Amino acid sequence: MSAEVLVFDILAVLAVISGAGVVLARNPVHSAISLVVTFVNLAGIFVMLRAEFLGVVQIIVYTGAILVLVLFVIMLVDPDDLPDFHGGRPLQRAAAFVIGLMLLGEVAVAILTRTVVGQPGPWSEEFVLEQGGNVQVLGQFLYSGYVLPIQAIAVVLLVGTIGALVLARPDEPVGRPRPRHTGTISLGHPRGAEGEFHEPLPLGAGAGAARSERRGEMRGGIIVVTDAESYSDRPAWELEFSEPSADSNDTSYADDGFGVGKERNRS
Amino acid sequence: MNELTAEHFLLLSAALFIIGMMGVLVRRNVLVIFMSVELMINAVNVAFIGFAWEQDSMVGQTFALFVIAVAAAESILGLGIIMALSRRIDSVDTADVTTLRD
Amino acid sequence: MTDQPLWITYIVGFIVLNLLLVGMAYMTWAERKVIALMQDRVGPNRTGPFGLLQPIADGVKLLGKEDLVPKFADKRVFIIAPLISFVTAPLAGLVIPFGDTVTIFGQEINLYVTDLNVGVLYMLAVGSVGVYGIILGGYSSANRYSLLGALRAAAQVISYEIVLGLSLVGVFILSSSLSLVTIVNEQRQPLDFSLGGLDFSIPNWYIFSQPIAFIIFLIAAVAETNRAPFDLPEAETELISGFHTEYSGFRFSFYFLAEYISMIVISLLAASLFLGGIDGPLADGFWWLLLKASIFLFFYIWLRATLPRFRYDQLMGIAWKVLLPLTLVNILLTGLIRLRGNDQISLQAFLITGGVILVVVLAVYLASTRKQEAYVG
Repeated sequence: MSAEVLVFDILAVLAVISGAGVVLARNPVHSAISLVVTFVNLAGIFVMLRAEFLGVVQIIVYTGAILVLVLFVIMLVDPDDLPDFHGGRPLQRAAAFVIGLMLLGEVAVAILTRTVVGQPGPWSEEFVLEQGGNVQVLGQFLYSGYVLPIQAIAVVLLVGTIGALVLARPDEPVGRPRPRHTGTISLGHPRGAEGEFHEPLPLGAGAGAARSERRGEMRGGIIVVTDAESYSDRPAWELEFSEPSADSNDTSYADDGFGVGKERNRS
Repeated sequence: MNELTAEHFLLLSAALFIIGMMGVLVRRNVLVIFMSVELMINAVNVAFIGFAWEQDSMVGQTFALFVIAVAAAESILGLGIIMALSRRIDSVDTADVTTLRD
Repeated sequence: MTDQPLWITYIVGFIVLNLLLVGMAYMTWAERKVIALMQDRVGPNRTGPFGLLQPIADGVKLLGKEDLVPKFADKRVFIIAPLISFVTAPLAGLVIPFGDTVTIFGQEINLYVTDLNVGVLYMLAVGSVGVYGIILGGYSSANRYSLLGALRAAAQVISYEIVLGLSLVGVFILSSSLSLVTIVNEQRQPLDFSLGGLDFSIPNWYIFSQPIAFIIFLIAAVAETNRAPFDLPEAETELISGFHTEYSGFRFSFYFLAEYISMIVISLLAASLFLGGIDGPLADGFWWLLLKASIFLFFYIWLRATLPRFRYDQLMGIAWKVLLPLTLVNILLTGLIRLRGNDQISLQAFLITGGVILVVVLAVYLASTRKQEAYVG
């Protein structure tokens, strides 16, 4: 049992355990932490395999950038631990475990009975050390035969960055309920708690009005005003286009108090 | 199993790949599916570098480097799509993505 | 690299770690003293002569505080998060050369823990992992404002990490290596030039060949360690103290001390990469390195005492709109000069390409300043 095998065993077992932790954790943040542990162990294995540059790049790019991005998205999208475990039905989980083991067995048989074809390359350990180390050799190799793929990768990353900018831009606030410019709730008016509704009253263009029209149901029973005097019989969506009515209770419509017409997109 | 051989790395790669694959198939949280895909990609990287070590070749390391770069680009876009999706349907459960269902 | 038995490496590592930890403790004392003197007061002078026992007093005080874990906090992550910051901070110091090879009792000993082929990249990698301490600390606190503060701090750190890494690419081009020992040795070569008939010979320190990169590195280093004037995410008056709001006692001090350790490590890195590290006449290399790192540490404290804080959007704007393009231009020009120095391109090609780059940079700069005049707010 050489030292190499011992180190490899420890790193590999830890990597597999934390890999399982990614899949089995309830909380996506715990999944992400397990994935970090996996990546660090894999980076250690890369360094053991004489690919030091790749080990370090793995940590910088994967743990330091990609997983930080994943954590950001988890925090921005799903910060609370959802009560139901998105893990699939228990039968699915048991079947997955059994099938996974069977698959692993098959692949293990394939691996252990393989035959190696092809010639080994020239980059033996001594040769690499002569050339100055893994970074120098990789640089020589990459930039003497693989310049075009490097340029292609650069374009891919550029496209990815631009695409991300476009995707992450917030949409115009349509179809998403936004809190209105609201004030006090007036339930005393006949149209409030006790009155009957003669027509569907949308709460305002922003707050769910689009949804309720699509679904054809009547929403809202609460008329919200900022000033009890400025309430009128007209539906809210007609107010901004109408001239001042003869109703003496109405104060100026320049500020109709609903905030519907003017500050529609103010959240 | 006294000396380090490529079989060690290939078995590790297979185990990680299968774990990742099961994660993609079983879990419903979109972000966990994404992380399982990253796990699969890393399993493949281990195989590449393991072969490069066994065969004294640099091609495996080059390929693994490109895989890391492409995975970075894919993760940017994937996470952007996840964010846009979650804004639209207000959840990250794949069972809620039912718009195209009749 | 000399062949030394493994236990010697462990002892050297142990000594380096102790050096960093003691340095961190007395960095707190030094900061308070220096800021006090700059503000025309005295600073700690009660605990021991010149207040030198102040760090010990601080430690005892923090250890004695109640260990609070918020009720809805994710307990395991809450405990691990400050440890991540605190453990990854000194890890980066393992590749810094503290001196030449000494011979004790006939055994040659390297005065560094390890000389990785990818030394500087390793330090950047370890710094990347340190971001998790911030994010997980903010997340596990079960406090919305801590989470927001943590995300802002993390975004700042990763933005300036990119600038930090790219500003060093010029140094890598000039020294053809990522290994710190090689970079320090390259800087010992003399650079001969003559000026006005007199011959000068200065060491090839990269501060002379990469002045822009040096300044960018300093700014990025200050921002990377969340130090003033870039310390918005953790300032006392902002966001209820940011991601470490819910931490008290020694857990809080883990973050605080991790920041000091990373300050020390980055100062050692700056000294090794730009000022030649252990290069110096007469005295032993270790003391020169200490002197140069102390200059940078004093500079850190000086900035904190003097400058007001940046606002968050200004901070991010500086990283992405100013420093990043400058680093890219620096890389282009350094590569060009190196190619010319190796005679790989002709003088014409060099001048034309250099001219084109400078014209493009000037044009972009003028265009950007013009747009800003029309921008209100």
